[in-house]
Amino acid sequence: MPPHQDSFRQPFLLRRSEWALVLAIVVAVGLTALLDANHSYATRPLESLRDIARNTALLGIFALGATVVIIAGGIDLSAGSMIALSGTVCATTMLALAPVEMMGFKPVGPAVVAVACAASLLAGFLVGTLHSWLITAIRLPPFIATLATLVGLRSFARALCESATSALTPTKSALVNVADPLFKTVRDNVWIPVAMFGVLACITWLILTRTVLGRHIGALGGNEQAARLAGIRTDNVKWFAYCFGAMTAALAGLFYVANESVSAPVNQGRGHELNAIAAAVVGGCSLAGGVGTVPGTVLGAIFLRVVIDAVSKIIKTGADVYEGLIVGIVVVMAVTLGQVGQMAKGGRKLLPGSLGLCAIPTLAILSGAIVAMTAGPRAGASVAGASVVLLWLLRAWENSRTPASSM
Amino acid sequence: MNHDNHEVKKDAAPHAVCMRGITKRFPGVVALEDMSLDVRPGELHAICGENGAGKSTLVKILSGVYQPDGGTLEIGGEMVRFVCTRDAEHAGVAIIHQELALVEELSVAANVFLGREKRTALGLVDDRAMAAECAQLLESLECRIAPDVRTGNLRVGDQQLVEIAKALSLHASIVVMDEPTSALTESESARLERTIAKLLARGTTILYISHKMGEVFRLADRITVLRDGRHVRTVNRADTSPEEITGWMVGRKIADRPASAPRVRGKQLLEVRNLCLPWPEHPRGYRLSDISLSLCAGEILGVAGLMGAGRTELLETLFGAGQSNWTGDILLEGRRVRFLHPREACDRRIAMVSEDRKRLGLFPDLDVAGNVSVCSLHEALYGGLLSRSGEDALVAGSVRETGVKTPSLHAPIMGLSGGNQQKCIIGRWLLTRPDILLLDDPTRGIDVGAKAELYTLIDQLCRNGMGVILTSSELPELLSLADRIIVLAEGRLTAEFSRSEATEARIMAAATG
Repeated sequence: MPPHQDSFRQPFLLRRSEWALVLAIVVAVGLTALLDANHSYATRPLESLRDIARNTALLGIFALGATVVIIAGGIDLSAGSMIALSGTVCATTMLALAPVEMMGFKPVGPAVVAVACAASLLAGFLVGTLHSWLITAIRLPPFIATLATLVGLRSFARALCESATSALTPTKSALVNVADPLFKTVRDNVWIPVAMFGVLACITWLILTRTVLGRHIGALGGNEQAARLAGIRTDNVKWFAYCFGAMTAALAGLFYVANESVSAPVNQGRGHELNAIAAAVVGGCSLAGGVGTVPGTVLGAIFLRVVIDAVSKIIKTGADVYEGLIVGIVVVMAVTLGQVGQMAKGGRKLLPGSLGLCAIPTLAILSGAIVAMTAGPRAGASVAGASVVLLWLLRAWENSRTPASSM
Repeated sequence: MNHDNHEVKKDAAPHAVCMRGITKRFPGVVALEDMSLDVRPGELHAICGENGAGKSTLVKILSGVYQPDGGTLEIGGEMVRFVCTRDAEHAGVAIIHQELALVEELSVAANVFLGREKRTALGLVDDRAMAAECAQLLESLECRIAPDVRTGNLRVGDQQLVEIAKALSLHASIVVMDEPTSALTESESARLERTIAKLLARGTTILYISHKMGEVFRLADRITVLRDGRHVRTVNRADTSPEEITGWMVGRKIADRPASAPRVRGKQLLEVRNLCLPWPEHPRGYRLSDISLSLCAGEILGVAGLMGAGRTELLETLFGAGQSNWTGDILLEGRRVRFLHPREACDRRIAMVSEDRKRLGLFPDLDVAGNVSVCSLHEALYGGLLSRSGEDALVAGSVRETGVKTPSLHAPIMGLSGGNQQKCIIGRWLLTRPDILLLDDPTRGIDVGAKAELYTLIDQLCRNGMGVILTSSELPELLSLADRIIVLAEGRLTAEFSRSEATEARIMAAATG
């Protein structure tokens, strides 16, 4: 009988790991409030909240899509490029339907906006269909199929932008300004993306937990062959999952356009797919498929943005440089902490053998360098030194705890 | 009467394996409780028990996969504590796992020396030396396997011999075999028994885990029986009988199943005419050739055949789960059908329980309820959404009908024993109220008690008018359950017997013919 972590009692509202995330969010907010020299959480609470809420909503919308794809046992690396394509489709559609107003930065009217947004969502549906066709009919691994579109769609979006602008405006351009008041309203009212995120989270939660389709998604991710033999049309389930993933990215793309008042296919959403995957993983999704929850991903997205915000508040200048670093560290820490209990029980070591020995200076240099760059060389050196000592003690403790094996 | 002789220490030589008070707990389950066991050097010590009795846990503790929560383990008189499998290998313990642990993409020689590769003077991998030594090892096991063949291309029986060759190359003094014949054909089993005799002649100690009484009584010097994680007793083979052992295994005496009363045959449900399934990449050219059969309501049709005879392919074709390039006719209640997806077969009230539970049946991330209800979720819909209570009611009924023993409907499925997992999967399909039930080796790897319960269940279903096609690796099972038996050999149908005509000898003759 294999050991199994999950208790079979229904958890109270959230699972244990999700309550831990709630706690982590509270701690991160508390630390920021304490360590921020400007005390912006205390002096401008609304502004800070708005910032975090907007960023969380934008990330969360397509992180929900990534969650569905990951639970179905797949992966979608193309979300960032889909965001760029969605924005471009929206902007170029408006440009085609109302070129004069677009060039004059005038309102284009709600009908045109609606058509443009629908076109973006349609583009998401088409991209999702392309993904699932490549994966189920051509039998490409999801990683390869969406890696191809990650690279391809951004280039396609830029080409689309340039040919549309050269055909419809006097000059060829790699971006289109969007000045319609409807988009401005969305930009100025944070509650709109937040409400959208909330509604979408509820819908996704309902789909995953309370519909046959959702159960089939979990079954597919857990054991694809068994799912097929149980009579589940696995190809159709995958079709839904990838379309959901691409369409949520398309939706997020519209909010990015509104937020930045421009569609810029070269840079918009670049690298964001990894943030979405990170939010899902921090929230408890397993990349092996079959495991994951909507509350987990929502909390994962909040946690990620809160930590990024915390670092920008504490470091002040040039904090965006560290965004990728923070996401990386948060993912590693979240997954590691989820395993600590198991590690201790199974007698697994954090720093085993010669690999562990080499890991000590590696980790020390990494932490020292980060501190040196943010707080000065002296602090960096002392952090590096302290890391070496602490890790060395940890290793010695681990070795003393488990007796040398009988060799 | 006390057969326990682990307290009596006659021989001066230390025990090959000596366990004292070994205990292993998992959340909610005690897998082994105060387990003591002595294995004498050079003997073949059989360990019997139902699934869930703790045999596999015992093996995993011996191989260093699990660490016991209490108790001591001595190998060859020395106290040991295995932290990982490599420790066990160093102590001379080699395990032939039930699910073989070979890398399919590597050659046979590479698998035998995996992790201990031979090197040339330059420090590069010395394939030639490994192949040579591997060939020698395999030859000593009298098997004709080329060391440079891709392991995945071998049949299961040959792969097992590769595992044994690996154990030999480790110079293991203790070899633990975990149900080694569960996936072997009769001739492969016979070859394995000859190999075991050779190992014993070399002085190797063998722990042989099995619940097949025939082989246990042919091979073992002593037999230990486990039940519910506890040691029941250890006896000399000469002092006991298979009935006594199975009695200890289940804690009660199993009467021989009385030949069931004849069932009433209903209308014809299924007819297959001249079914052929091509297999271009194989020299034989076909997986199935010219198969014709029929199935009536209220009837169990047995399909006998050795491994690779095409039993699974036949059922998968009927269920629409295999390749769809077959020729011939499949008639369902007189109408021709060609299923391209299992869904279509389900819609026509056909159900299939596939042979490999873990790989093809279970959803490890869903709980018991989720596993049972997955095919009939539409019955638990309330206003388009799944109703928890509706689903629970559905599952509770199924669990009662099939007799699943589970602590809760929402317990993790992987925590159940093999027999209970299988009952869950059968229950899953019964919820779809099929007319035809295809059972592909449903009792594989299931303990004696659960088997008997499954037999009763299958018989009952049949009496209620279901048509059942049953394949099995165990002939006695087919003989006692089936009304008619067809025999496949290398994709061809070689014989059909009625219940009164069928004997083990006749079936074996047809299966090898």
